[in-house]
Amino acid sequence: MAKPKVGFFDFACCEGCQLQVANLGEMLLDVLGAIDVVEFREVMSEKGPEKLDVAIIEGSITDKHAIERIKKIRERAGVLIAYGACACIGGVNGMKNNFKLEDIRKEVYGDRFKYFDSVETKAVHQVVKVDYFINGCPVYIPEFVAVLKCALQGIPYEVPDRAVCVECKLNENVCMYQKGVTCMGPITKAGCNSWCINNNNICYGCRGMVSNPNEKGAKDIIEKYKVPMDLIVNKMNMYNKCREIDKREQKKR
Amino acid sequence: MEQYFVLKKKSFNDFVSTMAKKQKVVAPIEKGNNQYAFEEVKSGDEIATGYIPTILPPKKYFMPQNETIAKFDISSGQNMEPVVEYEKMTIFGVRTCDLAGIQCLNMVFSDRPRDLNYLIRKNEITIVGFECNDYCDEYASCRLVHNHTPNGGYDLFFTDLGDKFIVHVNTLAGEEIIGQSNVFEKASDQDIKMLNILRTKKREIFAKNEVPIEHENIPGLFDKSYNSKVWEELEKKCVACGNCTNVCPSCYCFDVVDEPNLDLKTGRRSRKWDSCQHETFAKVAGGESFREERGARQRHRYFRKFKYPMDKFSRFFCTGCGRCSRTCMAGINLKETLTVLVEEHGMKNPNAGEVRIG
Amino acid sequence: MKSLKVKDSEYDIKKAKILKAKMLTSMEKYFEIALPGGESLDHEPGQFVEVSLLGIGEAPISISSSPTKLGSFELVVRNVGKLTAALHKLEAGAEVGIRGPFGKGFPVRILEGNDLLFIAGGLGIVPLRSLINFVIDNRRDFGKVSILLGCKSPKDLLFGNELEQWGKRLDVNFNCTVDNADPDWKGNVGLITKLIPGIDLDPERTFGVVCGPPIMYKFVIKELVKKKIPDRQVLVSLERHMKCGLGKCGHCQINGVYCCQDGPVFSYDRIKNIPEAL
Repeated sequence: MAKPKVGFFDFACCEGCQLQVANLGEMLLDVLGAIDVVEFREVMSEKGPEKLDVAIIEGSITDKHAIERIKKIRERAGVLIAYGACACIGGVNGMKNNFKLEDIRKEVYGDRFKYFDSVETKAVHQVVKVDYFINGCPVYIPEFVAVLKCALQGIPYEVPDRAVCVECKLNENVCMYQKGVTCMGPITKAGCNSWCINNNNICYGCRGMVSNPNEKGAKDIIEKYKVPMDLIVNKMNMYNKCREIDKREQKKR
Repeated sequence: MEQYFVLKKKSFNDFVSTMAKKQKVVAPIEKGNNQYAFEEVKSGDEIATGYIPTILPPKKYFMPQNETIAKFDISSGQNMEPVVEYEKMTIFGVRTCDLAGIQCLNMVFSDRPRDLNYLIRKNEITIVGFECNDYCDEYASCRLVHNHTPNGGYDLFFTDLGDKFIVHVNTLAGEEIIGQSNVFEKASDQDIKMLNILRTKKREIFAKNEVPIEHENIPGLFDKSYNSKVWEELEKKCVACGNCTNVCPSCYCFDVVDEPNLDLKTGRRSRKWDSCQHETFAKVAGGESFREERGARQRHRYFRKFKYPMDKFSRFFCTGCGRCSRTCMAGINLKETLTVLVEEHGMKNPNAGEVRIG
Repeated sequence: MKSLKVKDSEYDIKKAKILKAKMLTSMEKYFEIALPGGESLDHEPGQFVEVSLLGIGEAPISISSSPTKLGSFELVVRNVGKLTAALHKLEAGAEVGIRGPFGKGFPVRILEGNDLLFIAGGLGIVPLRSLINFVIDNRRDFGKVSILLGCKSPKDLLFGNELEQWGKRLDVNFNCTVDNADPDWKGNVGLITKLIPGIDLDPERTFGVVCGPPIMYKFVIKELVKKKIPDRQVLVSLERHMKCGLGKCGHCQINGVYCCQDGPVFSYDRIKNIPEAL
């Protein structure tokens, strides 16, 4: 059986997730044994064929040109995977949505801003249909491989819809709140094996929020630990500003 | 005749390193912020003294978090080979609450149909218990469930007598450990006397239940408690993180998942810890969830500790270790929940016990 | 860490072969499956098996055929999850893994000599069919047999040919209703509960055997109670996610009982005081 043709594409991002993939190490050989990479700007110069089995998308959609480009890639691809926080939830690029577009363009492009268009930052699924999500900033390699396998098997991958705390507890980390530090673990989707906390960092919420949080309970906890609410909201917005677009779309329906 | 030995504290390091040379030894080590975890140790000074129940109980060695139960290769059909992964080891420093937890798991997994993976693994593990001379903290409720003193379930059992440990030998495996090193001496009558004095003192420390109800009345309490208001309160508080079940020494629910390798031909089928607190736990493929509310899921957890196992195994599956309360960010506290139930049903008996908070 | 091969593991699977596969509706696919060497599954009507596709997973599936059918057994699978989606891609000749049968099925020995009223809603006909066909194959051993079947619309009807056969038999009283009729539909329209009052039965010697979506049970049982059928003679088959089938994993637990070991068939008498059951 021919190996599936896979293309990697990037939009507005730091390309850090590509770097994660390129730095797979030993596992890279196994991955390359399973797929045929036909397009990957960071590691090769060739341009791929018209039809792709799998398109793997990094980055968020931030201008009209990107909207057209992602739509074309979607047409070319049998399966589309969004990977990294920028692609899956908008990521840090979403912070742009805190400001007026015109102000942003002036700030970035100075007096020539009229020549550079810009649109509200969107996650990939807010523009085209996404079949698989690999959350994280950057992606957690074991999850990247797990999702890739599901895509190759043609079966769904379910992002764990439970808090990072679950995995953190299984790793027997001392809770950040016990250390007096505010951590986004309690409201952030698991699947990263509490990577950051294992390495003595806090969770920044890069994987997006759990879908059915107990808001009342969460507020009580935040109050119990005397964390100001706007601090939590700010921290959440660092990666999750684009969730407002999902909410807006839900309301429309 | 009961066998007691003593180990001088200055010989403790020798004892642990001798044991660690023979086979893997895991024991509680300090993680900071008064938190502890069982990890591999090579010498005695790595082991925490005065540790409170570890973040995860020793069940992680009896039913690993992610356990391979079969290997498969579908290159030529559905070929699967069931396997058990095990490791010879000694767990040092198992508190009496955790000994009780292991006994609960033993019951579940030896109940038919038996779980060979668990039973094979369990036989490779040597257990060295460790007595609590006092309460660990305000979360424990070991007296309520009669686990503040040892009820078997160990090979050796250590009690701290100041400058030495007195060690009870319960099994042949325990006797072998004693024989491995020359640091043990037979306990003298004086040593036994000191142990008895300590146990008498403990009776004063653990004089009353941590919840104002008699042990024998707890099943009756739960018979009345299914529709209690307290579950609605927990519904508001609980964020369904599942930490209470992961840290529980007697929670054993799991998920079964396949993990293929990248060739998509070979791989492993594994069991992973799961939690009845998660929304997806009681969902069927069609999408219907049979325990949709967080309060109902919390109730299920309490009933799985105090009611259902009592009916099936004549034993509480709450070991009184206090981990669920200690770990809960939302401040759901087992002693408080029970106390509210006791008061709600007019079963409060201040002579039986009192809530000691702080 | 050592790894040892375990003989007699409860998790071991039997390699089984799909003899026949066909779509029954847009969502449900039928499979006829044989164990190696024509070994009999040796199940009771109402039991289930765990079906495996290694690398994808395992799922509990009700056995739809009667144990009187020898040499193979039948499953009907709705495409609702990872494993079932993968099963739907399989055709005759493919291999699947089978564990089981598991659970307590219908108490056929107790049912003998009694009248039976089958009530199936939607996919509920799948497990009930194992008992219906068992009863039909041993028709002499049972009293009056009535079958009430309900589903959303005519195109969702499973086992159309078989239903027709049941309908033609003089020793079976068969009735069917749909929620939404199409122009060709000549049968009843409306909820299945409406068919129950019209049934002529002797409550003392009738067993009501019910299987359907969770919402259906309460209403159907209410009607059967009105008909004065004793609680212990009302049998239901409950749906839960039996992950291990061994009474351990906890997923299928209904209060204190494990659906996979204590069920999936229960008498109403047994579960009426188990609040999570219905």
